[in-house]
Amino acid sequence: MNILETKGLYHDFSGLEVLFDVNLQVKEGERLALIGPNGAGKTTLFNTITGMYHPTQGQVFFKGKDITRSNPYQLARIGMGRSFQITTTFARLTAFQNIRQAVLSKNGIRFQMFRKLDKMQDITKETDEILKRINLDGQRNIPAGMLSYGKHRSLEISMALATDPELIMLDEPTAGMSRDETHTAVELIRRLTEGKTVVIIEHDMDVVFSIADRITVLHYGQILATGSPAEIRENQEVKDAYLGDLEY
Amino acid sequence: MSTKLSNWILWGVVIILLAVFPYLVSFYYLNMFIAFAIFSLYAVTLNILLGYMGVLSFGHAMFFGTGAYAVALVLRHIEGFPLLPTILVGGLAGGLLALVLCPLLVRVSGTAFAMLTLAFSMLIFVAALKFREITGGEDGIGITSIPPLNIPGLVSIDMTDKINFYYFAIIVVAICLYLLWFYTKTPFGSLIVGIRDNALRMDYLGFNLPQTKAINLVVSGTFAGIAGAVHGLLMKLVSTVGVLDIGTSFKPLMMAYIGGVGSFFGPIIGSAILHILEDVVIRFTDRIGLVNGTIFILVVLFAPQGLIGLFNTAKAKWFQKETAS
Repeated sequence: MNILETKGLYHDFSGLEVLFDVNLQVKEGERLALIGPNGAGKTTLFNTITGMYHPTQGQVFFKGKDITRSNPYQLARIGMGRSFQITTTFARLTAFQNIRQAVLSKNGIRFQMFRKLDKMQDITKETDEILKRINLDGQRNIPAGMLSYGKHRSLEISMALATDPELIMLDEPTAGMSRDETHTAVELIRRLTEGKTVVIIEHDMDVVFSIADRITVLHYGQILATGSPAEIRENQEVKDAYLGDLEY
Repeated sequence: MSTKLSNWILWGVVIILLAVFPYLVSFYYLNMFIAFAIFSLYAVTLNILLGYMGVLSFGHAMFFGTGAYAVALVLRHIEGFPLLPTILVGGLAGGLLALVLCPLLVRVSGTAFAMLTLAFSMLIFVAALKFREITGGEDGIGITSIPPLNIPGLVSIDMTDKINFYYFAIIVVAICLYLLWFYTKTPFGSLIVGIRDNALRMDYLGFNLPQTKAINLVVSGTFAGIAGAVHGLLMKLVSTVGVLDIGTSFKPLMMAYIGGVGSFFGPIIGSAILHILEDVVIRFTDRIGLVNGTIFILVVLFAPQGLIGLFNTAKAKWFQKETAS
């Protein structure tokens, strides 16, 4: 079954066509990598799917439901999580408080004004467990803005995962990371997304080929090819447009 | 454990000091202290928006003033209206105004929010000036008598007595401050801070931003209305220049910035400093605005986290030195 599907998606920014008849299918439980040259429309596709923009034309379906006109918070509540290319965390709050916000959302606590947050043991416990799983328990009380870049990016990825979504959209999770940090991040993503559906935008081909079950190549707002990593590697069109002749 | 005990002792001392205060000072200073307390509450409600949600309100006086006008109107037109409901009417009026404006206010932030609040507060200011039949125009509405505090079957406390009114005002302000402090400690309070730090992330975590912001605005407006209500009773006169003008909007802003927007108690300290300063400066010159303005600029330039921030930095430095030596 397709957990996510777009049908004839078009998006233009007042005349500039960024997405052009995109028909994307994501099967439940798979890891799909979205690759393509800069400006291909990958992030725009993400933004359109996750409700930041509404498409000019076409439809988006999530779990069989039309979500074309939904807003980000509504999508988050029905099980879509997302990370950003530009780190989007609460810089002045500690790592613990960052994750705790996600845990509050996961537990549906939105209007609780009659209990002190610090006294809600279950929330604290759940948050600490997540921090341990993402290896940030040592940085529990450090403001997110003061974490090292790699740790900060892990926090970013974890924020998308902490609400326990069914579909996880990761926008260049390893952008700007060193080799070691990338390695750790990939391990983290693998471990935390076990059994979940992941759509990932990535430029690092090592990461793509090590994580993805299937790859979709986006080029000038259109899907150029979709297939298994082996197929994409051999695809001449993709080589011309993006990969080049280097061997991966 | 010992910190808990020392906390209790500290609060005990504060309460005793507050209790004996009216017997130690003249009525002039008693009035000043009540004004300080009212403006502390008022500045804290502004800080709920500024420090916690990260939006700058240039027209917070509209909530304060609406609360004050509501009280004056109720006391003038309804014979024998009891005291506590009067205060609640003030809060209700402030909250209602926030509720009416929130569909617009929650959609903007930054400069647009500041300008919108400024515009609405000016609108209400002018409206209060023009609707003479209701508001008394520039003359305002006098509050001829404050109703006594009636607890049916128990006591009836005369509020025209200054000391009784002092206790009443202080207790109202203290309860409101406690409620607001508690509010910032709840999960909902943490969502407000999340919106300040990163609204986009809050949206993608599944929180309805406009709704959350609207609730916070109404909370802030309600308590500002209560502050206005007590202020009206203290001054016994509610007029546009006293409660609705731009100066009334800027006062809590200065208090919050001077005390420190990063902390709950910052605005209270700011309120204390401005009131003490005014009392001192007025003996030498009438140009109180000049002095306040200079201090405001200095604080913004050199201590953007306010005096509490300055204190915290100093403490951190001091402790660092101690551990180093």
